[in-house]
Amino acid sequence: MDADLISRKPCALIVEDETLIAEELRERLSRLGFSVIATVDSAEEGIAIATRNRPDLVLMDIRLKGEKDGVQAAQEIRQQVDVPIVYVTAYSDRHTVDRVKGSEHDGYILKPFHARELESTIDVAMQRHAIRAKRVKNIDPDRTS
Amino acid sequence: MSTPAINPSLFGRSTKRHLYFVGVVAALAIGPFIVWPRLAERLLATDFLPHLYCYLSNPALVWTHVVADSLIAIAYFVISVTVAYVVYKARRDIPLPWMLLAFAVFILACGATHFVEVITVWVPVYIFSAAVKVVTAVVSVATAVVLPFTVPEVLTLVRRAKTSQEVTARLRASEERKEALLREVHHRVKNNLAVICSLFYLQSTHSKDKETGEIFRDMERRVHSMALVHETLYGSENLGRIDFAEYAHALAEDIVSSHGSPGVPVQLKTKLERVIMNVDLAVLCGLILNELISNALKHAFPDGVGGKIKVTLRSDPESICSLCVEDNGVGIPANLDVKTKSLGLRLVRTLIRQIGGSFELVRVDQGTSACLTFVVNQHGR
Repeated sequence: MDADLISRKPCALIVEDETLIAEELRERLSRLGFSVIATVDSAEEGIAIATRNRPDLVLMDIRLKGEKDGVQAAQEIRQQVDVPIVYVTAYSDRHTVDRVKGSEHDGYILKPFHARELESTIDVAMQRHAIRAKRVKNIDPDRTS
Repeated sequence: MSTPAINPSLFGRSTKRHLYFVGVVAALAIGPFIVWPRLAERLLATDFLPHLYCYLSNPALVWTHVVADSLIAIAYFVISVTVAYVVYKARRDIPLPWMLLAFAVFILACGATHFVEVITVWVPVYIFSAAVKVVTAVVSVATAVVLPFTVPEVLTLVRRAKTSQEVTARLRASEERKEALLREVHHRVKNNLAVICSLFYLQSTHSKDKETGEIFRDMERRVHSMALVHETLYGSENLGRIDFAEYAHALAEDIVSSHGSPGVPVQLKTKLERVIMNVDLAVLCGLILNELISNALKHAFPDGVGGKIKVTLRSDPESICSLCVEDNGVGIPANLDVKTKSLGLRLVRTLIRQIGGSFELVRVDQGTSACLTFVVNQHGR
């Protein structure tokens, strides 16, 4: 927890296969005060970086390059580390929404989005995560993560 | 003449044929009794020994026969009535109805022989019993003779039913594939529009001055309003049509939030009637609505005090729709030239020409009212 002792920018990971949209997200996140540690386009890379670097936020597209999709990636990440995950996707059909509901996540935004939507969804996601982290800390004070 | 079921002459002919048939059967049944008045007497002659004697009045044997024959008779009667009812109810659609009726008569006759068996235990009406058996024999033999001739037709019907089941399943599968494909197309269109929105956003962050940045934001909003149509379509049952009220509500909220300057609270009120239209018209109306709401947000509340924007959609029975955006802001300048150089209003005028509607922009008591009137015809255009 050394990094938390000094005041620092929260860091974010973007998992998105549409590079222009990823670029927009990077731009918007840096305006919201995040430092973007990486933008990747596959679930595998996303899982690797999220579990290794434990970012403060993961923005996750659902359709990605490679075998796995965003919902699977989110599930694998959450099995290993507790980071807030927000889906950013163009899919809003019943099937996808049902899959998203069944997976652990902290927010869901549809593309294309407006600045305010992105901002408020990220805010809510970070708060939900903070409350969860606090609860875990209270239950298990020895936990060092 | 499109509905032969209520054609009086056809109906009359069919009733007449039924009456004729009933008459012939009745004549055949009653005729012999009239020609030979003693027939009834002979038929019901009881100068024989009842079956009771044959059974040596053994109660177990007697009642076994009586109960079994009665049950058989009742069951046969119920079966034949059921078959006759089915034929009557489904007379227009059922294949080979006369064959089923022959079965019903055959079963009824068999039931009658068992019924007479019960009577002859005590009352020896053996001539009557013989007559019933003769009738049963005639009906049974007739059915047995005719039945083989219907075999090819029955087989054809079975084959056809199976084929039609297969065709239905194939049609359903192809319908589902088509729908999945359409959803995929909408998804891709939406995704591409999202990429265009990103491009405009990125460009806006690189513009030198505020005005240029605002131009790209406007463009982003225009494309966004088009993308929202595809998103609304996902949730609709019919992928070609859209509930414009649902779309307009989401769009209006979206535009107001996207203009977001937190210091200027603008309240949005929507009162929208359900209007179903096709995607093309919805896209155009959405673009117009975007311009009207954006105009109100940009010009109606210049001093940063905020205010209200009301969006209403009404539709009358002739499918004439009116879509209005009203605000309680400063009102348009009295000398505003409608053919102004403002791109927003120019777009509105152009789009209205395309949908064949009319447009009115007026200063009202307090604020501005922009109303668009257009026709949504039955095909959703």
